[in-house]
Amino acid sequence: MITIPYLTAVSTYFSYGLLFAFGQLRDYSRLIFDWWTTSDLHGYAPICLAHEDFYIRRLYHRIQDCFGRPISSAPDAWVDVVERFSNDNNKTLKRTTKSTRCLNLGSYNYLGFGSYDEFCTPLVIESLKKFSPSTCSSRVDAGTTSVHAELEECVANYVGKPAAIVTGMGYATNSAIIPVLIGKGGLIISDSLNHTSIVNGARGSGATIRVFQHNTPAHLERVLKEQIAEGQPRTHRPWKKIMVVVEGIYSMEGEICQLPEIVSICKKYKAYVYLDEAHSIGAIGKTGRGVCELLGVDTADVDIMMGTFTKSFGACGGYIAGSKDLIQYLKYHCPAHLYATSISTPSAQQIISAIQVILGEDGSNRGAQKLARIRENSNFFRAELQKMGFEVLGDNDSPVMPIMLYNPAKIPAFSRECLRENVAVVVVGFPATPLLLARARICISASHSREDLLKALKVISKAGDLTGIKYFPAAPKKQEEEKGTIKLD
Amino acid sequence: MYVRALPTTDVNRNTEWFTYPGVWTTYILILFFSWLLVLSLFHCSPGIAWTIVHLAHFTVTYHSFHWKKGTPFGDDQGIYNRLTWWEQIDNGKQLTRNRKFLTVVPIVLYLIASHTTDYQHPMLFLNTLAVFVMVVAKFPHMHKVRIFGINGDQ
Repeated sequence: MITIPYLTAVSTYFSYGLLFAFGQLRDYSRLIFDWWTTSDLHGYAPICLAHEDFYIRRLYHRIQDCFGRPISSAPDAWVDVVERFSNDNNKTLKRTTKSTRCLNLGSYNYLGFGSYDEFCTPLVIESLKKFSPSTCSSRVDAGTTSVHAELEECVANYVGKPAAIVTGMGYATNSAIIPVLIGKGGLIISDSLNHTSIVNGARGSGATIRVFQHNTPAHLERVLKEQIAEGQPRTHRPWKKIMVVVEGIYSMEGEICQLPEIVSICKKYKAYVYLDEAHSIGAIGKTGRGVCELLGVDTADVDIMMGTFTKSFGACGGYIAGSKDLIQYLKYHCPAHLYATSISTPSAQQIISAIQVILGEDGSNRGAQKLARIRENSNFFRAELQKMGFEVLGDNDSPVMPIMLYNPAKIPAFSRECLRENVAVVVVGFPATPLLLARARICISASHSREDLLKALKVISKAGDLTGIKYFPAAPKKQEEEKGTIKLD
Repeated sequence: MYVRALPTTDVNRNTEWFTYPGVWTTYILILFFSWLLVLSLFHCSPGIAWTIVHLAHFTVTYHSFHWKKGTPFGDDQGIYNRLTWWEQIDNGKQLTRNRKFLTVVPIVLYLIASHTTDYQHPMLFLNTLAVFVMVVAKFPHMHKVRIFGINGDQ
């Protein structure tokens, strides 16, 4: 539920209309210009259709310096951002050899494993020397080492399921496994704000796709009832399989899924639940076991639990956890397991060590400290931002907090102003978010100290004042005045 | 003054912006301000200004709603490449509130333009032609119809 000031909505539409109009004018003048010049590519078809890259050429390229900034150090709480310059108004950007040390508010470094860790990194280097960076083979040929077997067992125990399968890439986990689980004649009901990997996997499976309103169990129930009553399109036969796909934390909203209601509805109508915990595993819950632990849902009720290791564990790859039969079936049928190269062995070791730190099995309580710190940091930061008058989305305890910008001109303004003050933020616009709802997405890490957060708040407040994004009235500072009067007495 | 924006179930990023609050008001305000702009630039009578606004509106909306096909970004892998914007909105469902609003606006513009020019030729002829083409293009029966293969696929 996003609250927009009406004037901002109208001005945002105006701005986009103006940008599109100017883009079209430039396209027409380019067309006329190119009429007179000949090209040497006679007989070749154009690479993209005429208007498919309109958005990239005319809108994205104008503010390209805010996206894709290269970094030259590990993504810790502070990161070295490489400076770039452009001679042709952001059409091409050239890297320099200089870099600035910036506060990192953009990396998904939730538990601080993104840089040197005193327990994990020595073990990873040892594994690198023993095994080598790549297994150079798929899992079924020669790509399964003892570390891989240990990793799958470790992940299954951590998540709370009987068995797990691990693949080398998080995006490919979704897009390669959903087509294996469901096919033509099946029904996929996915949340309207699901990640592109799920959308691609669903489209690639050949099943019918229906969408329900974001995080609204009542609408999910209505869609389920309707679809079960209607059956398959045209033949009206009953569906072969129904799968409901939801995410633990939605990465663009920072909202936590309403899992208990959704699981009870799916049980009632006998649909399978596929939970994508990319952002929530390791980041929420008392021992970091994700949204099931936080909301008190029994893991046996969620049929397929998927997650990635790129966010909280500082590695790469993804996993699927489920019953032993399901994982056995996937090992025989999933192309990511049969044909893709297996996950790099040092990365697997990093994940195992990270899980051991989180559970306290390395002999210290650093894991519990990290989890407590990320919760504390997220709640403090969100509360302070809301007090300043920003519109911040997301639930309490979620380490992802988008600050709403709305107007397209504020996207580069906010990003560049923050970079000038040495704070690196990620801004997102259309088409990753809806047209109207551009935002700056802040990701809090357990390695941010209180001073880092205070500096970030100061810089964001200044940038917010300059760009005018404090859409809500700031909370009044009554308490300090009262303290003053009591002291005088 | 705040409005609430509920996320929609429309997966097509090209058309879902039309379901958020404030679009209708912005559309009407753009038309009104362009009328003021034309009046101040061309020093013409209000009727001629409304005629110019009506014909310009016809050109722009016909081109963007009924001629251009597909989406301006490549993320959706080209599944809408055969559909114009008008055929994409509301997932192809006909006679929704948005479609009714978009059909009424050119008609209201036509009435204002004809009234303020006192129904004289040649403005009346041009305005009538424009509104006829606009309204016929928006009929439910014209969904995915390409007359004589104009604007059809290769």
